[in-house]
Amino acid sequence: MSAKRPDLRLIREDPDQVAVEQLALLAELIQEFASSLNLDETLQTAIERFMAYMDAEAASLFLLENENRELVCYKCVGPVDISGLRMDVSEGIVGKCVREQACQMVRDVRRSHDFSGTIDHSSGFSTRSLLCAPLSVRGECVGVLELVNKRTGDGLFNPRDEALASVLASAAALAIHNARMAASLVEHERLKRELELAGDIQRHLLPPSCDSDFPVNGVNFPAYEVSGDFYDFFPLDNGRIYFNLADVSGKGINSALLMAQTSSLLRCLARDFSDPGELLTRVNRELCETASHGMFVTIVSGFIEPESGRVCFSNAGHQPPLQRGVDGSFSEIPAGAPPLGVVPETVFPVSEISLAGGSLYLFTDGVTESLTAEHLPLDVSGLITLIERMSELESCERLQNIVAEIRRPGARQRDDITMMLIESQDTGLGEKLFERRFSADPECLHGLRTELKSAALQAGCSAEVAGEIVLAVNEACMNIMQHAYQGDCAGEILLEMHNNDGELVCVLKDWAAPVDPSQIRPRPLDELRPGGLGTRFIDELMDDWVFDTTPQGCGNCLTLRKRIA
Amino acid sequence: MGFGHRTEGGYAVVELRGDVDLARSPEARALILQFLEQRSDLLVDLSEVAYIDSSGVASLVEGYQVAKKEGLKFGLIGVSEAALSVLRLARLDQVFPIHSDLDARIADDG
Repeated sequence: MSAKRPDLRLIREDPDQVAVEQLALLAELIQEFASSLNLDETLQTAIERFMAYMDAEAASLFLLENENRELVCYKCVGPVDISGLRMDVSEGIVGKCVREQACQMVRDVRRSHDFSGTIDHSSGFSTRSLLCAPLSVRGECVGVLELVNKRTGDGLFNPRDEALASVLASAAALAIHNARMAASLVEHERLKRELELAGDIQRHLLPPSCDSDFPVNGVNFPAYEVSGDFYDFFPLDNGRIYFNLADVSGKGINSALLMAQTSSLLRCLARDFSDPGELLTRVNRELCETASHGMFVTIVSGFIEPESGRVCFSNAGHQPPLQRGVDGSFSEIPAGAPPLGVVPETVFPVSEISLAGGSLYLFTDGVTESLTAEHLPLDVSGLITLIERMSELESCERLQNIVAEIRRPGARQRDDITMMLIESQDTGLGEKLFERRFSADPECLHGLRTELKSAALQAGCSAEVAGEIVLAVNEACMNIMQHAYQGDCAGEILLEMHNNDGELVCVLKDWAAPVDPSQIRPRPLDELRPGGLGTRFIDELMDDWVFDTTPQGCGNCLTLRKRIA
Repeated sequence: MGFGHRTEGGYAVVELRGDVDLARSPEARALILQFLEQRSDLLVDLSEVAYIDSSGVASLVEGYQVAKKEGLKFGLIGVSEAALSVLRLARLDQVFPIHSDLDARIADDG
């Protein structure tokens, strides 16, 4: 490139020719800035060439640092190397250039009050005249281009020099700004990748996804890359299942780290404790020693006995878990202690409940504080409504659908959403004697009656009682076929018969739309009409029957009971 | 086991057999209503009925009501133990005229 350049000094006298040269130089330097892959080198060559063209003795490039309070010499050319030199922006002519964001041309520094002479003192250099141009981008100053002592002519800089320096300074400022943007973009990308990796590792700390055959299921959806919420569950050697669901204060990396620490502590220690209160006491002491910055963890942590459906747990400052009874009632079980990581001596009381065919919902405030389509917080009441609406689904599907509803499309998720469902596998119905799944086709009834009768006889019923049970179950099936499925033979019916300590319990489930319970009341017998006898028969033949208005995992559920011993 | 019918002693006799349940009561109902539409006095023979449910009973109730409205004779004969227990359950043993067989019914008609 330099070979093509004419020797500028030889033809300097013609003003037009000078303008053309200056434009050529600027165009070349600007183009180099724009295409530079190494800004450091480019800036160095640029000030070298600029110094030579301007016939200056020295040139330097200062950049602002320390929140724009200091100027640091980034590049320099000339007899004295001042690179790395720092000066306050309140000092000297260079500082004035920043403060006023305007070119400073001092033809004789001895007459300037602003000249500090600091550099001259330390270097032995003698400054006569100065030209400073601010490096400005979009009104923001990033540094100063400085030229010292004009060698030719009268030894003074002139307005044309000033204009030229000003243009070059702007081009250099833009190049520096772009390079910084690119660097920050690279840094941002690197941090983003690291966060994604952290999120990935964190997801692997959570148990595998849903399985309706397991009594515990959980879901976690972080609002950002990493989550401050977590949950865990795993079976223990003694047949019990350990579970927890927690919320770490704050969001972001620090919360995620505390989450990982707490989760790992619990995973290790849960095997050594049988009392959930003692487990939390131990973990709390550990966290109080190490947790900092006022961070804390709210948690529900406990053990499940799958056989009996008993759940014991401690609640450290967390949202009250919601228990749904088998009858469809809801109750909240409030926290008995403050969060983990606050007071080392905290004692954690234990709550004990029996699932008895019901379920326990644990969740973080991201669930209850999520906004509905009406922009109101969901609240516990809204969650209860959702649970009731999804009650016909299997546990795993129910949990996922509830969370999908909360994270409805278009809604911005503001907090981590974490939820756990503990559901009794024990039906509370006793030993299962018989199970048949069949289509809602009247043709299936004959075979079903035969099988049910022999199962009832085998359970120890008299022939008469067996006949009564068969008649009652047959009537119930007919009701499902005619009223629930409305004659659609493709529907399915599930019949189970259990022996609950001398009481035969028959459970009939269907997956039709819920039936209005008022339609299945027995009619008075003195009312002579062809229909409506079925429920009357059931009522007469069985000791008790219950139609569940909000059954879980099916559309309608009818339970018939008759004592046989 | 299909349902049968015969005409005897001035009655159309519908013979229900086996299981009269939801799968087969539509057939029983159609047969009963068919003879009543022909203005026959009608007896339903339940001697061979192994099982009857509320839908089967409903066909008998409907037959009884139509006959009464049309001024025709209606009754049950030879009611099996299985059928009788269900009719008792519905208190219909007190509503339907029930005879052991056709002869007993004719004797009762006088």
